[in-house]
Amino acid sequence: MNIKFVPGDSGMRRWFFQRITGIFLVVLLLVHFTIMHFIGTGETTYQTVASRLASPLWKTFDLAFLVFALYHGLAGLWVVVDDYVHKDGWRIFIYSLIVLGGALLLALGALTIITFSPQMLTTVKM
Amino acid sequence: MKKNVYELKYRYHTGSVAWVLHRLSGLALILYLVLHIWVISNLNNPAGFNKVMAFLNEPLFKLLELGLWGVIIYHAINGLRVILVDFFGGSKNQKKLFWGVVVVGIVVFIAGAVPFIGNLK
Repeated sequence: MNIKFVPGDSGMRRWFFQRITGIFLVVLLLVHFTIMHFIGTGETTYQTVASRLASPLWKTFDLAFLVFALYHGLAGLWVVVDDYVHKDGWRIFIYSLIVLGGALLLALGALTIITFSPQMLTTVKM
Repeated sequence: MKKNVYELKYRYHTGSVAWVLHRLSGLALILYLVLHIWVISNLNNPAGFNKVMAFLNEPLFKLLELGLWGVIIYHAINGLRVILVDFFGGSKNQKKLFWGVVVVGIVVFIAGAVPFIGNLK
């Protein structure tokens, strides 16, 4: 494997990082699905999520997952727009939506994970 | 009328079908990711979170979740095929690799679907 990046925005870095993040996502997804659906009860409740998300290790895992998935998804969307949308105005409009939407989703997701602290379970109405 | 040179015309063979499916599954997964981040943001409200989750534990959503597993498996395993073709000289065997994706995909899908269904109440 011998990869040489050409200068400028040829899309080559995007192409390369799409593959790198893809490999990470396969591993993260397998862990995620195994924990969520294949072992245990398969039922997701506040209690089961909170018991994991209280630990900094799971917070790190979920943050990495969030960043990789958002980057990979939006970079993919970027290329699709690049291929099918040809009017400059539309391209700029959709690219702006991708950047803005990505920033909002990253903020929402990261805040959910970072600020999470388990609340008194006795206050939870079942 | 000006001819649209960007008309969506593809010649269909294993490689191009795999590529089109990769894009379509990717778009579906982006939509799911957006909904997922939004649903999980309910975690700041335990009672509200459990309410949403109880709703999502209905059979319809469980079926959709199994479909999601299928879409993910296709996108992940075909993505690994793309990496083999791009980085590890897999282009010579790309047709065989495509059928490999189909076989491995079906096996992994079933391997996940069995415990998934077993966990349903």
